[in-house]
Amino acid sequence: MPENRTRPAYRIIGKAAPRPDAWAKVFGDTAYAHDYTVPGMLCAKVLRSRHPAARVLSIDTGDAEKLPGVDAVLTAKDVPNNETATRFGQTHQVGGFEGLYRVLAEKKIRFKGEAVALVAATSEAVAEEALGLIHVEYEPLEGVFDPVEAKQAGAYQVGEDESNVICSYKVRKGDVEEGFKLADVVVEQTYRVPMVDHAYLEPESGVAWLDQDGVITIRSATQVIEHFRGIADVLGVSHNRVRIIAPMLGGGFGGKEDITVETYLALLVWKTRKPVSLTYTREESIRSHGKRHPYVMRYKTGATKAGKLVALEAELTSDAGGYVYLSPWVLLYSTVGATGPYDIPHVKVDSETVLTNNTFSSANRGFGAPQVCFACESQLDELAKQLGLSPLEIRRKNYLRTGDALATGRVLEHSVETEQTADRALEALGEPSGPSSPTERIGRGIASSMTSYGRMTFLHDTSRALVSIEMDGSVSVRCGLQDVGGGQASSLAQIAAEVLGVPMEDVTVYVGDSALTPLAGTTTATRLLYMSGNATKKAATAVRHSLVKKAADLLDVDPEELAMGDRQIYSAGDPDRAVALERVVKACAADGIPLYDVAQFNAPARELIDFQTGQGQVFPDFTFGTQAMEVSVDIETGAVKVLKIVSCYDVGQAINTLSAEGQLHGGALYGLGYGMMEEVVLDKGNTLTPSFAEYLIPSAVDVPDVKTIMIESGGGVGPFGAKGLGEPSCVPAAAAFANAVSDAIGARVCDLPVTPERILKALGRF
Amino acid sequence: MRKTKTKTVTSTTYLRPTDLNDLQQIMAEHQGRAAVVAGATDMIPQMRAGRTLPAVLVDLCEIAELSFIREEHGSIAIGATTTMAKLASSPIIASGSPFLATAARQVGHPQTRNRATIGGNLANASPSADTAPPLLALGAAVQIMSPDGAIRDVPLHQFFHSYRVTDLGEGDVLTRITFPRPPDGAAGRFTKIGLRSASSISVASVAVMLEMEETTCRTARVAAGSVAPIPMRVFRIEELLEGHEIGETLVEECSELLRAEISPISDVRGSDKYRSYVASAVLKRQIEMAVADRRTFGA
Ligand SMILES: Cc1cc2nc3c(=O)[nH]c(=O)nc-3n(C[C@H](O)[C@H](O)[C@H](O)COP(=O)(O)OP(=O)(O)OC[C@H]3O[C@@H](n4cnc5c(N)ncnc54)[C@H](O)[C@@H]3O)c2cc1C
Repeated sequence: MPENRTRPAYRIIGKAAPRPDAWAKVFGDTAYAHDYTVPGMLCAKVLRSRHPAARVLSIDTGDAEKLPGVDAVLTAKDVPNNETATRFGQTHQVGGFEGLYRVLAEKKIRFKGEAVALVAATSEAVAEEALGLIHVEYEPLEGVFDPVEAKQAGAYQVGEDESNVICSYKVRKGDVEEGFKLADVVVEQTYRVPMVDHAYLEPESGVAWLDQDGVITIRSATQVIEHFRGIADVLGVSHNRVRIIAPMLGGGFGGKEDITVETYLALLVWKTRKPVSLTYTREESIRSHGKRHPYVMRYKTGATKAGKLVALEAELTSDAGGYVYLSPWVLLYSTVGATGPYDIPHVKVDSETVLTNNTFSSANRGFGAPQVCFACESQLDELAKQLGLSPLEIRRKNYLRTGDALATGRVLEHSVETEQTADRALEALGEPSGPSSPTERIGRGIASSMTSYGRMTFLHDTSRALVSIEMDGSVSVRCGLQDVGGGQASSLAQIAAEVLGVPMEDVTVYVGDSALTPLAGTTTATRLLYMSGNATKKAATAVRHSLVKKAADLLDVDPEELAMGDRQIYSAGDPDRAVALERVVKACAADGIPLYDVAQFNAPARELIDFQTGQGQVFPDFTFGTQAMEVSVDIETGAVKVLKIVSCYDVGQAINTLSAEGQLHGGALYGLGYGMMEEVVLDKGNTLTPSFAEYLIPSAVDVPDVKTIMIESGGGVGPFGAKGLGEPSCVPAAAAFANAVSDAIGARVCDLPVTPERILKALGRF
Repeated sequence: MRKTKTKTVTSTTYLRPTDLNDLQQIMAEHQGRAAVVAGATDMIPQMRAGRTLPAVLVDLCEIAELSFIREEHGSIAIGATTTMAKLASSPIIASGSPFLATAARQVGHPQTRNRATIGGNLANASPSADTAPPLLALGAAVQIMSPDGAIRDVPLHQFFHSYRVTDLGEGDVLTRITFPRPPDGAAGRFTKIGLRSASSISVASVAVMLEMEETTCRTARVAAGSVAPIPMRVFRIEELLEGHEIGETLVEECSELLRAEISPISDVRGSDKYRSYVASAVLKRQIEMAVADRRTFGA
């Protein structure tokens, strides 16, 4: 149960509300993208490049086309607009920020696994066979696989005529040279973090068809139905000729933020006029779809004897892989977040994102935050160690507080409860465990983070929701959101139920249809509850006003006196003066009073920040939290057991405590995997970990129960004061894990994941 | 013009004999084209990866006489299609060779263990096959049936020839595994080092069976997995231990000798140095524990 604030008396908000979508999942009834079939459906397959860097000399599809059962074979020449950009749901055009990529390879191959050709055939087996009959002549090129190497002058050029360096940012505050002079202790280190996969249960998948009106309709696992515009642009048709429907997702984590199968399906449907389905294999997903960016981060941090941070200098290089996609955006998040939730007078951050011939990187839960959190939190622990302070003490001396400014000049006007989250998280670890064998060492670590929620303010983000009340008093919400499994739809039902005084089961939420539900933007950037929650609340409140006004007439009381609840409108002072909601609805209908409202919620709209100094506002608000862990390390084998995990966040206001706890649990484990074992290993652009036999994620026996603590400051900008939790909840775990291991063994591993092998190396065992 | 290799859509014939006679006939008839399959937990991933595509798949799972665990004349005999789940829960294994159960219990996850068989584990001959080190330490032998019906017994340490090459010839089927029931004073240990606590492929594994008299080692058998092209028995360590009083120096020597005897590779799961270090650390611990147990409980 969340604690803290004297809470306003909500009926449903802030309660444990079992989700309406839960049972269907438990029973296996939920129809995910791959579970959907359309009569006469063809099966698609993608031919992928066998080289990470090569020139495509020729493609001969003749043999494949002749194979019985093959309906279409497409290559770049069949794509009307092959060079395209991710520009979804954004109302404001910002140059230099577009996530450029090619639909199908032409000219230079930029990573292994890049799509070269598409096949649609009557069965998967025929489609597979046809792939083998497409003859591609490649001229293999040298390629470049290390981002630091790729940014040197004279490095192999990944693209045709653009520099390997996609973009760079700077943050300048004070004067770091002077700052380091004030420091009694300075620590400096280079940290490396790996490429990781989203490892969702459901791989990329979808089915598409041409509807009776000739609209290309795509039902696919996506976090962004508004990709319909980009797909229409690729095909050269008008935007209203492409429709995307998002079913319930089997996990997104940013991996379904970029286009996955949608454009391929659209092209094949357009060509064959038949329904087509496409689902990636796991190996295909790991080899060829976007990943979390690997970073190399050089950090230097100085503090006074008293433990006050005085200067921080950071150089970040991220590996974008073969195409731009969302790399500039991810890098901007890292750049702003590089200094952590700390108040530092002198700051200098330089960051670059660089093309290589590795698998492309793009969105992954945390969006650039987990990388810098690991580096920054490692530096704090190193400083604490040298100063003889505890990890908690040094952090307390430096946390940003409400009213303080970030290094970018942005003032934190909303609540900042980081210190409380750290105190509570550490306290909840309880008594330290004892080692169970002579070679075991116990260690504890904490890490705090400040992670944004809501999209970057220069994108001028908007969301819409339609709330209507039916003649019997039941409520419908229509919102073009994508439910990634976090309870996105369910939380809107709760909000509408709260505002309109009905039980949650009286509310039906229609989501995820770019043609029929009001467009609500992406389920990314921890923005969904913030944006669509506010839009839904706004629309529901407008409907409530009409109803209350009518009820006031019927009851002959002042509308100000009226409350809603139990499907009734009643006088707050005299609850016996009540009228059934259904009666009020009917009365409104009879008078022609609208029984619905479509509301739009706009996030604060700002201009681009100053890229030379980093000064300006990039995000609407931040979520603050701390994770604490206790581990035991066997110093002879390097094996680590995680004994305890606590995750404490200021959630602003929990809407559904069950869903919020779910985010805290899942987030902690998602981040733990990053710290402990996850890594997509590439050798010269070849993925060596293409399946879950090599790409390891924590199993149930690797993780203890996560203890969650929610603080409700009420200080968020979401509905009812809520903050966002989806991404923030995963950010500090890897850093907390690394800090705990370091505490246990008295040595530091500076690269993620902190594997047994790296632990033994840090201990000087070999 | 360079051509992409063509994969053709072929259909595999799938046969399910119900007794050994049937099996032998099928193997004789389809010699050269048939592969046997039991739990298919190695076979299916290999087929999916395109590494093998047998024309005829012969499923052993319907042959009741291939699935058993029993004691016979001082030996323990295990049918080839006995699953890891059965090994892990067998009272015979628990009392006769509990460290084999320990190994079986650590194969994959419950779904894997319900299908994976001991015969498949050995025949697949991965250096990381988890039942191999304890079976080597138990001095096990495998029984093999040829397509002509001939039966032969092969000591397990001679069964593994080189990387993924075994004594199994064309059409041969591994039918059972036997090992002498260890004497009462003998204690076996198996330690698997994987990269997570469940369902992970060993980066190194060690099995040791020691028969002690006070602190003197009477007999020793030592085997290691994932540190050489085959699961290997380390005879030289056995010689070093047998007949000797086990002290700190000897333990250190054993652990050094192990490092010299093995030839681990570096791959995505770990470097050669890491494998070598943990294998020797584990061996050391196992010997120390065997001695400590003696001290605590007496002979
Ligand atoms: C998720 C997962 C996790 C795994 N984890 C582990 C692990 O932790 N440790 C481990 O050791 N292994 C592990 N494995 C590998 C595999 O499960 C084991 O090797 C298993 O014992 C193989 O047995 P099977 O019956 O499934 O073999 P199959 O796949 O049926 O056969 C494997 C090979 O052996 C041959 N074969 C099978 N039976 C015979 C026979 N009686 N005579 C002759 N040839 C035969 C087949 O022709 C084939 O070449 C894992 C596999 C998976 C899928």
